[in-house]
Amino acid sequence: MFNRHRRSLFAVLAAVLIPAAAAGSVLPARAAQEKPDRIVLRVCNWEEYIDLGDWDEEETIELPSGDIIGENNMVEDFEEWYEETYGTEVKVEYSTFGTNEDLYNTLTLGDVYDLVCPSEYMIMKLMAEDQLVPLSEDFFDESQENNFYIRGVSPYIRNIFETKGIGGEYWSKYAAGYMWGVTGIVYNPEEVTEEQASTWDILTNPDFERQVTIKDSVREAYFAAVGAIKSDLLTSEEFRGDPDYAQRLEDEMNDTSPEMIAQVQDYLKRVKDNVYSFETDAGKADMITGKVVANYQWSGDAVYTMDQADEDDFELAFAVPEESTDIYFDGWVMLKRGIGNDPARQHAAEAFINFVSRPDNAIRNMYYIGYTSVLSGGDDPRIFEYADYNYGAEEDEEDVVDYDLSYFFADGDGAGEEEDEYVISAPADQVNRQLSAAYPPEDVIDRSCIMVYFNEEQNALINQMWINVRCFSIREVPVWGWLLALLAAAAIAAMAAQRFKLLKASK
Amino acid sequence: MSFSRKSLGIPYAVFLLIFVAAPLIVLVFYAFTNGQGQFTMHNLSSFFSDPNTLGTLFYSFAIACVTTAVCLLLAYPVAYILAMSTIPAKSVVLMLFVLPMWINFSLRITALKEILNVLEGNLAMHPFLNAVIGMTYDFLPFMILPLFTTISKLDGALREAAMDLGADSLRTFLQITLPLSVPGIISGVSMVFLPAMTNYVVLDMLYNSTYIMGSLIGSYFAAYNWHGGSMISLILLALICLFTLLTGGGEEETARGGALL
Repeated sequence: MFNRHRRSLFAVLAAVLIPAAAAGSVLPARAAQEKPDRIVLRVCNWEEYIDLGDWDEEETIELPSGDIIGENNMVEDFEEWYEETYGTEVKVEYSTFGTNEDLYNTLTLGDVYDLVCPSEYMIMKLMAEDQLVPLSEDFFDESQENNFYIRGVSPYIRNIFETKGIGGEYWSKYAAGYMWGVTGIVYNPEEVTEEQASTWDILTNPDFERQVTIKDSVREAYFAAVGAIKSDLLTSEEFRGDPDYAQRLEDEMNDTSPEMIAQVQDYLKRVKDNVYSFETDAGKADMITGKVVANYQWSGDAVYTMDQADEDDFELAFAVPEESTDIYFDGWVMLKRGIGNDPARQHAAEAFINFVSRPDNAIRNMYYIGYTSVLSGGDDPRIFEYADYNYGAEEDEEDVVDYDLSYFFADGDGAGEEEDEYVISAPADQVNRQLSAAYPPEDVIDRSCIMVYFNEEQNALINQMWINVRCFSIREVPVWGWLLALLAAAAIAAMAAQRFKLLKASK
Repeated sequence: MSFSRKSLGIPYAVFLLIFVAAPLIVLVFYAFTNGQGQFTMHNLSSFFSDPNTLGTLFYSFAIACVTTAVCLLLAYPVAYILAMSTIPAKSVVLMLFVLPMWINFSLRITALKEILNVLEGNLAMHPFLNAVIGMTYDFLPFMILPLFTTISKLDGALREAAMDLGADSLRTFLQITLPLSVPGIISGVSMVFLPAMTNYVVLDMLYNSTYIMGSLIGSYFAAYNWHGGSMISLILLALICLFTLLTGGGEEETARGGALL
């Protein structure tokens, strides 16, 4: 799979702004002739998180149920589709953000958007702050042909969205999923064994001193630290066998007691002294160029990293910590500040969600971004076909295993489905490679849990902990450090004296 | 209203008002208020009572001091030789020193990363060294230019007089050339020292995971702590002002050197 996740922001801007300018020049004339109702939809999404089209001919994805190719920017496709389908003109003002915190900050500073796509914990924060508009009843009507989201969302994801929540409300009331994944460790199998990579302990493993990178993200680092500290408990038979395992796991992994935070701080200080770096962007490239042997990463980026390495004939693999892993979602939510009480605008926003959830569009986005869509396609077989197209074995391949994806694709009622309908026969090594990152196996799903949104008090403690880890403490300054500081201060003082002397002389 | 030459300054005055004065007012407001918008000195006192912020200040100072010293030691001989030489195409040679500045910053650091990787092996083993090398690489032209300008303007007659009166060349340098080039040194130092305090992108790209002032402010903002972050920015600003006042940066030499960039 060829991935273009790292396209420049400029391309995004150009793609959005040029048609916007063109549309702007045409519109007034047309609006004057016809009805004046033209909806402006303000969408804010992650950078490089939607198909911009313009694929080459040979990039066409040939599936048994039809070819798929991205010709145009998906945002333009939506505008065209909406006008054709609903007869109303819609103009999408598309912008992007870099991190959940950036998005939240721009919202706080007064930027107005109708539809945004943050991660699950930010959705929970926005829910808790009552900033969101609930999805309409119509949106969940499976009998409507254009409700691609509810008709196609994976039952597994749907269940999570309908059972996880905050303040007594479930995610599904406000949020529709877009992409999902787990966190795990990309590793170089020539240097690291699968066993060594399958635990968070790799971050403090002295055998890999200064050879492992971790994301520069306080949440991911915190989660990994909690998992590593509680490793014995999390992997014990007794804990695994608990009938209430899932809930207990979530509680343990989201432990923010002061004692836990103190332990995490000590652990992360050790991590800081042992890892290559807390990386913001370099992790993927460093993995591919062999500067590091392992990288704690989001699965979507892991797929990208392995794809890129494959192009250089350099084989990387993916493992998920045996203790646990956090499962993450990016989802569409509508903001009160933008939508207000405008049903037309809300309709367009929900239609946008449905449009990007149409199976062919979901595949285009997956191809373009490299992340995995929350959609299974429902009655439409193409998304499963796409997984098979990417990861299935060639017919003459010998070392093949069956990889069961029923948990994600089967609709659960069992009617009209064959037992092995959603089994991919994949090359054996795919079990540790792209396939396992794109669609984690069931045992990984079983030991995954979500990382909830922490309240302000918890966040303050954790952020302070993070600063304690990352900063150089004044107490650590050695005596010679103070001496040098004195020397520098003296130099500055001398320069100042010199200056005053010059000033005096000139007078 | 009659047109005067002063009117030409209006565009810049407007720019100054919108992009310098207004943000500064916002900064001061945030620095002295809490989440409820009430006046507080808490942000100020917590800066000076937190071992992390003080430690970060120290660490940033250390990087900036070492970078400045290295830049000065590298740049002075170059500027001196170049200024004293009689080669015809001096300005072309000078351009060669400035040339790296024409290449995009992150591209340069990425290239440097690969070179250091070959030289050092595992980059993450030497975080402090990397930071100093990266910043020196980045800021060296800022040191060379003002030094060159100052030294080339020195009156050669003074040196000749010293020689005539029996001073050897070392003594001439120490007692004539060096003291007279102090304004250039001061300009160069302030042009290197100040950005070196905050340019955390260099650290980030060269695998130094310890915060310096720039990244500390960023982390406060990422945690929605606008007030604490603003206070740190303000204190940094105050320190820079103090430094500039003491050393007299921003003088003619700076402007001359800067114009070449």
